[in-house]
Amino acid sequence: MNAVKRCSVFTSLLFLFFAGSAFAQSDPGVRGGAAGAGQPLPSVAANTPITILDFFNDGLGRFSEVDSVSGTIEAGLGLGPRFNSRSCAFCHAQPAVGGTSPFTNPQVSDASADGARNTIPSFVTANGPVREARFPFFFNSNGSPNTNAPNGGVEDLFTITGRSDAGACSLPQPSFALAQSTNNIIFRIPTPTFGAGLIENIDDSTLLANQNAQAGNGLGISGTFNHNGNDGTISRFGWKAQNKSLLIFAGEAYNVEQGVSNEAFTQERPLPGEDQTTGLPANCRINGTPEDHTNFNTTALGTSSDVVGFAMFMRLLNQPTPSTTTPGGAASISRGRSLFSAIGCATCHTPSLTTASSSLTASLNGATANLFSDVEIHHMGTGLADNVSQGGAGGDQFRTSPLWGLGQRIFFLHDGRTSNLLAAIEAHEGNGSEATQVELNFNSLSPSQQQDLLNFLRSL
Amino acid sequence: MRLVVLRFPSHLALAVSLLLPVHAAAQSGGDFSYNPDAQKLPTNVILVKGAWSSASDSSTPIPESGKVAESAYHNDYFGLTYTLHSGWIEKYTGPPPSDSGYYVLAQLRPADTSKDATRGSVLIAAHDLFFTPAPASNAPELINYAQSHLQADYKVERPPTEIRVAGHSFVRFDYGSPVAELHWSVLATQIRCHVLEFVFTSRDSKLVENLVQDLEQMKLPVEPGATPGASAGDLPVCIKDYAADENVVERVDPVFTERRYNSIPVRIIIDRDGRVKHIHFLSAFPEQAKAITDALLQWRFRPYLRDGQPVEVETGLWFGQMPRRAAAPKAGAVSE
Repeated sequence: MNAVKRCSVFTSLLFLFFAGSAFAQSDPGVRGGAAGAGQPLPSVAANTPITILDFFNDGLGRFSEVDSVSGTIEAGLGLGPRFNSRSCAFCHAQPAVGGTSPFTNPQVSDASADGARNTIPSFVTANGPVREARFPFFFNSNGSPNTNAPNGGVEDLFTITGRSDAGACSLPQPSFALAQSTNNIIFRIPTPTFGAGLIENIDDSTLLANQNAQAGNGLGISGTFNHNGNDGTISRFGWKAQNKSLLIFAGEAYNVEQGVSNEAFTQERPLPGEDQTTGLPANCRINGTPEDHTNFNTTALGTSSDVVGFAMFMRLLNQPTPSTTTPGGAASISRGRSLFSAIGCATCHTPSLTTASSSLTASLNGATANLFSDVEIHHMGTGLADNVSQGGAGGDQFRTSPLWGLGQRIFFLHDGRTSNLLAAIEAHEGNGSEATQVELNFNSLSPSQQQDLLNFLRSL
Repeated sequence: MRLVVLRFPSHLALAVSLLLPVHAAAQSGGDFSYNPDAQKLPTNVILVKGAWSSASDSSTPIPESGKVAESAYHNDYFGLTYTLHSGWIEKYTGPPPSDSGYYVLAQLRPADTSKDATRGSVLIAAHDLFFTPAPASNAPELINYAQSHLQADYKVERPPTEIRVAGHSFVRFDYGSPVAELHWSVLATQIRCHVLEFVFTSRDSKLVENLVQDLEQMKLPVEPGATPGASAGDLPVCIKDYAADENVVERVDPVFTERRYNSIPVRIIIDRDGRVKHIHFLSAFPEQAKAITDALLQWRFRPYLRDGQPVEVETGLWFGQMPRRAAAPKAGAVSE
C-alpha cells in the first residue's frame, strides 16, 4: 500500500471514529459566559417598594462578610470555636454570590487562616467540592460505629485552635480518618440559594395539589413531604427539606457552618459527641452570646441581625436565567425540554409552581417559580442513602433537588461525588430508588436524544 | 467523561502538594483514638430508616413481600405468579410502600446480556384504594384519572378499554410519546381493594405487545362475584372505612411519645370475633407502629356477617396527620 492509499484509509477510519463519537452523549460541562444568577428579583432591582434594594445590598454585604473570632482580624465577629468555613459567600459562590461550591475550595485556606492549626481531611481538596461532614452513628468506646446510636449531626471540619484571636482555646478535630475507615461518614455540599424567596412563598396547598396530580404516574414514584416539627407545615430548604424558612436556614448555617451563635440558634455549638458529655470548654466560649443579634445602638439597615440580613438577601435573589441557545443550540435545548417531561423526569422535577400572594415585593407575588422540583422527599435507594435522618426524612430520602441554575453548577448530588451530569443522572437508579423506571426510560433514548436532554439541563 | 479523567491527575497532584505541609504540621486528634480493629459499617445498606413499612406478624402475606425467584414474580398477598419474559431480570428492587398507598412490587428489565437489552421495562405496582390520593374507587376510575393527568405531549394510542386477561377483568390503556419514541401500555385490575397495575414501556411497540401477551400466562386468584362483600376463597372481605362509627365497639387511642406530622396508613384484618388479628403499616416510624399496635389490639369491632355468618374483614384506617386530598367520588364502601 502506498503512502497516499494509507493516508486515505487512515482518513476514512478517522472519519468513522469521529462520526461514531459524534453520537456519544456527554455532559457539555459548566456553561460558560456570564453568570445566569446572582441578581435581585426584578421588582427589587426596581427598588419597589422603596428601600428594598438597600436591604438586598445590605444582605449581600453581610453574606459576603468574613468572620474572625474577635471581629478584629476580619470584620465579622463570632467565628467558631468549630466551623467549616469563614464566610457564607466562600461556599455559596458559584456562579455568583448565593450559589454553591466554587472551583477553588475555600476550606483549604480556611484551615490555616490567621494561624489556625487544622489538619485538612482527605475528602477536602483544592479543586473538590466544599463539604460538611456528618457521622451517621456515634462511636463505641472501642472506635466502632454504634448502629443503636444514630448521630447525623454536623462534625465541623475545623477549630479556631492556634488562631491569633483564639486565646487559650484548644480543641481537637473529629477523627475523620477513623470515620472514613469505618464507613461512618457522609458529606453534604452547599445548596444554591437563588430563587429561594420564591420557594419560600409557595403555599402548601399548591405543593399538595401538585402531588395529587402525580398520583396516577406509571413510573414507580410516590413522594411525601417533610414537615416542620413546630407547626406541622411543609418544610422545604436543605437536602432533606428539613428547614421551614430562610430565617431558620440562615440561623442554622451561621451557627453550624461558621460557629456564630445567633438569635435563632443561641449557643456556641459543640460537636454532637461533645454535647452529650461536657460541652465546649469555657476558654473556647470566647464571646458573649448570641454573637449575632439585633443591633440596638444603630438605626435603619444596621439594626437587623446578620441572620435576618442573610435571609433577606436569599429571599430577594432572582431565580436563575436559563440560556436559550447554549449549549447545543435552541433546537436541541427545546427537544431536551420535551424529553425531560416525556420520560418522567418532570414527575418529581416539577418545571414550575406558582407562588402565593406576597406582602414583600411584586416579583414574589403570584410568580412562576421555574424550580424543577416538587419540594417532596423521595426514596433514592441504597446508592445515594446517607443514613442521616432529618425531621421526617429517613436515611435514603432526599428533597427533589431544584434544577434551576444547574447549567453553571460544578458538583452534583448531595455529597458532590461527581462533576459529570451523566453520572449524576445514572446515580438515580438503584435498589430502593423511586427513580429507577425514569432512569430506564432515559437509557432507552438514543444517544442524540440523551444529548438533547443533557444540553437542556446545562442550559438551565 | 474524558475531560474528567484528564484533569484528575493534575487535581490530585495539587491537592497532595497542598495537603502535605499541613499534615506535617498538625496531628489529628479527635473524639476517638484510631483503632485498626474498629468494625466497619456495611455499604449500600439503608441503616437509618424513616417512616417505613412493617407488620405485626411475619406469617400473614403483605403486598410488598413478593419476590422474583426462578424467572417468575410471586406474590402471595395478591395470589399472583407472573413469569418473566425470557432473559429478563429484576436488577433493582423498588422503594418501600408510600404513605399514600402506592407499592412498587417489581421492576423488570432485560439482563444486560439479553438481546432485548435497554429495549423495555415492566413495572408491577399496586395502588391501595383505601389510601390512594387519586379520586378513584376502582381500576377504571384510577386509569381514567391517570389519563386525565397525562401530559399534553403524550399521544393516546388506545383509550382505556376493558379486556379479560388470564381470566381476570382488566383495563388496558396505551399511550406514547412521539418525541421520546416510547410506548406505554398499562393494564390494571382489582384485587383485595388494590388496583394491581402492569406498566410496559419500550421504544418497540411490538415488544410491548409481546409483553402484554405474556400476561395470559399469569396466575391470579379467582375473581370474586359481583356481590358486594364477597371475596375470593378464604380471603378476608375488604371493606373501605369499616373501622368507623358503630362498627367500632371499643376504641383506645394510641399514645405517641413524639409529635410528628406524617400520615400513617394502616391495614388491619379483623377476625370473626371482632378482634384485630393482623396489622400492616404501610409507612410509620417504629415508635408510632408500636403505639398504634398497642392500641389496636385493644379495639373491638362488630363482626361482619355474610349470609348470617361472621367473616374476617380487611380494612384500612389513618393515624397521624390526615392527608389533605382532592375529594373522592361518592362510590360508597369499596368491597370485593
